[in-house]
Amino acid sequence: MGGDNRSARSQRWWPVLCVGLALGAVAFYAFLIASNWIYLGWSDTVYFFSQPRMWQRFWLTLWTSALATSFSLLIGVPAGYALSRFTFPARNFFASVIDLPIVVSPAVIGAFLFGITTAAPFRHLGENYGFYIGRNVAGVLLVQFTVTCAFCARLMKAAFDLVPTRFEAVSRSLGASNFRTFFKVVLPTAKNGIIASMIVVWARAAAEWEGLMLFVGATEGETDIMPFAIYLDWNGGMMGWVVSMTLVCLLLAVTATAAMRIIGGRSNVW
Amino acid sequence: MCGERRSGADPAVSAGPSRRSDHRAFRLFFYGFAGFLFLYTVSLFLGNLDQLLVTAGPEHAPEMLAWGSGRAVMTEFAGGFWKDPYFWKSLNLTVLLTAITTLVAALAGIPAAYALSRYRIPGRGVIEVLFSSIIVVPASSVGLCLIVMFNYGPLWELQQALGFRVAHSIFPGMVIASFVLSFALGLSAWKATFDSINPRFEQVARSLGSGPWRAFRTVTLPLARSGLAAGIILAWTRAMAEFGAVLLFCGTFAELPLSRFGTIERALCIDRADWLSVAVWAQIEYGNVEYGFALAFVMVIIGGVSAYVMHRIGARGYVW
Repeated sequence: MGGDNRSARSQRWWPVLCVGLALGAVAFYAFLIASNWIYLGWSDTVYFFSQPRMWQRFWLTLWTSALATSFSLLIGVPAGYALSRFTFPARNFFASVIDLPIVVSPAVIGAFLFGITTAAPFRHLGENYGFYIGRNVAGVLLVQFTVTCAFCARLMKAAFDLVPTRFEAVSRSLGASNFRTFFKVVLPTAKNGIIASMIVVWARAAAEWEGLMLFVGATEGETDIMPFAIYLDWNGGMMGWVVSMTLVCLLLAVTATAAMRIIGGRSNVW
Repeated sequence: MCGERRSGADPAVSAGPSRRSDHRAFRLFFYGFAGFLFLYTVSLFLGNLDQLLVTAGPEHAPEMLAWGSGRAVMTEFAGGFWKDPYFWKSLNLTVLLTAITTLVAALAGIPAAYALSRYRIPGRGVIEVLFSSIIVVPASSVGLCLIVMFNYGPLWELQQALGFRVAHSIFPGMVIASFVLSFALGLSAWKATFDSINPRFEQVARSLGSGPWRAFRTVTLPLARSGLAAGIILAWTRAMAEFGAVLLFCGTFAELPLSRFGTIERALCIDRADWLSVAVWAQIEYGNVEYGFALAFVMVIIGGVSAYVMHRIGARGYVW
């Protein structure tokens, strides 16, 4: 017994190591974010934040990602419900295919979107009806939709997984139809999870830029949403713009995540 | 863990014929949306198979190619990528560095996740917001944060004093660039795994006289094994999919002279190679479209296999 106690005491290194690694990681990430602002300084922050160019890009980012998010939600909520509740053969295979746009690098997605929009149905529409998706805002929306749609379905699946099926069973046993159950019982119960997921999806759409590189490109004032403008201005050597826009992106991400936590969603979906 | 409730019993079994048709319409409605998503993804990927067959372009405009203009393999199927040392070196580089990244992330992240899940650390909410917000920070911002962090301020002076550079290097640079996001993602997965395990088992082990390390190793670790493995695959997949941070922080290496690379890099056959997703971008950008698409399909296959493995292990959901 005494030997056990000694060995228990000598194992103190484990919690110390765990906490030390956690704090080290926090310090690394905090320094990563803080070094930006230390580099920029206060007066430059004020200067760049008061420029109209900054806010024009900010609003462009905001409304494109909001629109793309609403499209994703229209597809993602029912698809997430189907993935959460129904069982069907080769489920893992279908789920993996649906996950592909999240798993594969978004730059690759952009290349594939370029291939699709220059091929049969889109090309026909473009030639005959002037319906063009490519180097304009429609291309930005398509990229954001493609990347966030699967993401949204996955988050919604997690949100519906948190709702016990018991409520649905009770509602059905009391005579409500399936659709009535879904709209009156499932959706209100999962409301918080859905809103939280919506915020994350929106933040993810606002963070999308790799897909734009090969597919859309950036036109100043038209398709240069903020993450892409960071890359462009960095190539142009405009360090002040780049760092101040990075700060805006970081604030956006932190705000979205904090809002999601306050609403009570979970960022990780296990 | 959430989601042990999947509707096992069919609710429409005991219902009448009208209920059954309602049930069918209900399922069809939801399957429709999931099917749309499936078909969209499938058409996105399979609709581009014809890009591999493009062979005419480079013959007519060889001067447009930024590198490899003398290559005879250009006019073959998929650019003849399997004959090109650049492809194999890039694959080598990416697999090797993502393995290193994942190893470091797992060694540092699993204990850190354990600490965040079990111990009372002040400001835990803030820390969680910090790590989960990294997932929705644009990759270009991450790359730029890394540049500012390492190329300005005290860390730059330190690099000057020690005589090496982190940015635009293979060994510390690319590993760090892919580490940032894959660590944050893996950490959230591992933390959720530890959260889902009842701490009571461990407390019982502690009360029976085992130390903290022994309680972790013999009780919590076996319970968390599949979740931790899924988190490791997740971190690896995310590191493979990394593009923006690597592009901004390290750039491309294909055109650099051989003297730029050290003996270790040459011995490992990772000199003059690019990160795989950066290689896709660079090849397409410089006009090697079918070659770039071939590399993209290689990445799709790698990503699809790891997603399938994650689903098989039982990772119910994951996000980045």
